[in-house]
Amino acid sequence: MTIHVAHRSGAMPAPNLRRKPNLFQRILLHWNDYTYIAPALIVMLLVIAFPIYYTVELSFFKTPANLSMDKKIFVGLDNYWAILTSKSFWNVTYNTLIWTVFSTFFAFVLGLGAALALNREFLGRGVLRAVLLVPYVISAVAASYVWKWLYHSDFGVIGALSVQFGFTDRPINFLDNIYTALPAIIVVNIWKEFSFAMIMLLAGLQTVPDQLLRAAQVDGANAWQRFWHVTMPHLKGVSMVTILLLLVTNLNSFIIPWIMTGGGPAGATDIWITQIYQMAFGRIRFGMASAYSVILFIVMMLLGYFYVKALTRGDEAKVE
Amino acid sequence: MTNLLGRKSVPARLSRRNILSYSVTALLATTMIAGSTTSFAANVDLTKWSPEYVKSIAGTAEVDTAAECAKVVPSDYKGRLSYWWVGPTQAQPEIDHKMDAEFWAAWKKAYPNIETDAQSLDYNDMLNKVRTAALGNAAPMVAKFPILWGVEFAAKGQLKELKPEDVGYATDDFWPGAMKSVTYEGKTYGIPTNNETMGFIWNAKIFADAGLDPEKPPATWDDVVKYSKQIKDKLGINGYGLVARQNAGNTPFRFMPQLWAYGGGALDETSEQPTYKTVELNNAGSKAALQAAYDMYVRDKSVPASALTNTQNENQNPFIAGQLAMMIAHPAEYAKMVDLASKATGADKAAADAVVQNMRYGLLPEGPARRAVVFGGSNVHVFAPELVEGGLDVDAARAFICFSTGPEWSTKLAWVGSNPGHLDGFTTKWMKERLDTIKFLDVTTSMLPSGIPFPVIPEQAEIMNIIVPDMLQNALTGKMTVDQAADDAAQKVQELLDGM
Repeated sequence: MTIHVAHRSGAMPAPNLRRKPNLFQRILLHWNDYTYIAPALIVMLLVIAFPIYYTVELSFFKTPANLSMDKKIFVGLDNYWAILTSKSFWNVTYNTLIWTVFSTFFAFVLGLGAALALNREFLGRGVLRAVLLVPYVISAVAASYVWKWLYHSDFGVIGALSVQFGFTDRPINFLDNIYTALPAIIVVNIWKEFSFAMIMLLAGLQTVPDQLLRAAQVDGANAWQRFWHVTMPHLKGVSMVTILLLLVTNLNSFIIPWIMTGGGPAGATDIWITQIYQMAFGRIRFGMASAYSVILFIVMMLLGYFYVKALTRGDEAKVE
Repeated sequence: MTNLLGRKSVPARLSRRNILSYSVTALLATTMIAGSTTSFAANVDLTKWSPEYVKSIAGTAEVDTAAECAKVVPSDYKGRLSYWWVGPTQAQPEIDHKMDAEFWAAWKKAYPNIETDAQSLDYNDMLNKVRTAALGNAAPMVAKFPILWGVEFAAKGQLKELKPEDVGYATDDFWPGAMKSVTYEGKTYGIPTNNETMGFIWNAKIFADAGLDPEKPPATWDDVVKYSKQIKDKLGINGYGLVARQNAGNTPFRFMPQLWAYGGGALDETSEQPTYKTVELNNAGSKAALQAAYDMYVRDKSVPASALTNTQNENQNPFIAGQLAMMIAHPAEYAKMVDLASKATGADKAAADAVVQNMRYGLLPEGPARRAVVFGGSNVHVFAPELVEGGLDVDAARAFICFSTGPEWSTKLAWVGSNPGHLDGFTTKWMKERLDTIKFLDVTTSMLPSGIPFPVIPEQAEIMNIIVPDMLQNALTGKMTVDQAADDAAQKVQELLDGM
């Protein structure tokens, strides 16, 4: 939509010859406003901007194993080059993509199913809603240990049941096998996250107008058609935000893989964050870890950009 | 870097702290030149070391720590001391708290005019706190570190040279392995306070049920492989408690003894004068040790399948439940098992009590090259004067180190979980009391001469906690062959040493 403005005189407005004040002039002009927010700005600079700056700076240095930072050596982009050309980086990136995409997709789909189910009136809905929220409120550390014991390759409940019911002749080796470890911890992550998607989508479902659904029903639309053509379009915005938040959370996941496998076996569950942690605090290579962090930061910023775009899409439409 | 007797260069501008430092250094030099030493000497013969020998020498000597240390620093010396260490925690037995309290009372009595600021820190917090404090020139004068921490600070030039002779003892009064752990690039930066090595524990009943001699541990690592398979085949339970988790300290502490026994090594840490420049992770011995681990995990499936995600803690429960036959264990493991048994209930309690009754301690198995174990313990260090808040009081530090590392307190302060760093501690009445009251102490103590410290280089954390477990996991998961895994690990270590 375009807005046409008619001028009373019928002539074009005279161009504003006064130059727009620059940033410094604007600060001077509103010095009292800036004074009010100065403490918050200073704190933000200290706790957000400085660590980011220092991480970027460190990423251009080789830091000695003895942590003697005054002896760090400037290596330019060598750390980035070493990371991007290493085989382990691409293995870890592959794991990270599998972890993030599968966790996000299944957490969203399960969350959507649970939200649709809980959006209907039925006996015990409140209890079921509370039960389904439990994974979200449980500490990730506690959940990781519980699942670790459930999966345990020698004494795990799941393995014992599979033997008892005759599915396998010996306990399934979930976490100590390079092929099953990543899927096993993705299941835990989905279990932990789907209730977040459920809450978000349940809130979104409240915005679907009842009269539209009834009208569609009167027009002969079946349940799938009502869901796909009426409900889903109304959930588009909240779905976008939920998926983006899940993507960001999963890219930043640390607790579940670290506690359950420590990135093993043989790097099978190593993702970016565990790799960065190990690089910094296991291998004491802060320069390399910082370069890794900057790469992750760039990816996150891109996702953040889309997140903000998704959030403000409605506002832009209103302005138009 | 400086030593306790002097400096390399004199800065153009002298600060008050510098003047204080030079004064105490000069005083110390005078003291050292006067040659005042304690009358302690190593009254033990390491060549005869065995459980019987350890018992025979205990309680044969008397010591008067205050009087001996007064010869090094007069007991009326007036000064100040700051000291950080990992003190006893709530989880530790009462005796540790009692000894700690007695130590501070005795120190106060021996040196009433040394004002002492002692900070007991949590193990998990201390390293980062000391790093930060040293960077901010707020380090303590004296700190007691676990055996592997000191090298980082020595490499950064943050420690003052310190050798036993500086506090009235002789280098020979301490374990050679312990002295290696305080030596960096040929210079000595600390004094051992206590040392311990692990032992080998097994369940005698499982051994008997599997047709093995219940009173004899496996003599060699090849026997461990054989026994483990026999136990698994006959009883269906796991034989050896392999630990191969990534980034976990437990893994190198349990695998390196096997590697060294077969003649392998990370670097040349097994040699008399290690240079830490030769990579040995892919030599024949290292590959043989890796093959033995592979045989147990992959071929025989006689060790826990969860070994790749387990730490030692996850082996304790199967052991007390009678589901694991043997493992490498800390001297305090017996106390831990007694504790676990006391917490069990019903039928579990009966089973756990039976396991405690059947628990045996022995020496770690030998390999074709040697019998070996990781040399553990703690060392005391002095920070460089310019990093110490308020300056370094050298004589207060010397008095304290003499007092705490002598035969008496190095024995008493290591009561349950360790052993005296000072060899004469083994001759004291307190050592006799420990041997009489702590089960299997004579056996675990007997492993000390086989102790090998991890390489004393700043890169050892990456080698031991990352590269070695990676090597194990690459081989045990089938991601690489044994040869490939060893070669890959050796290449990583070489790259690390080359600074890549």
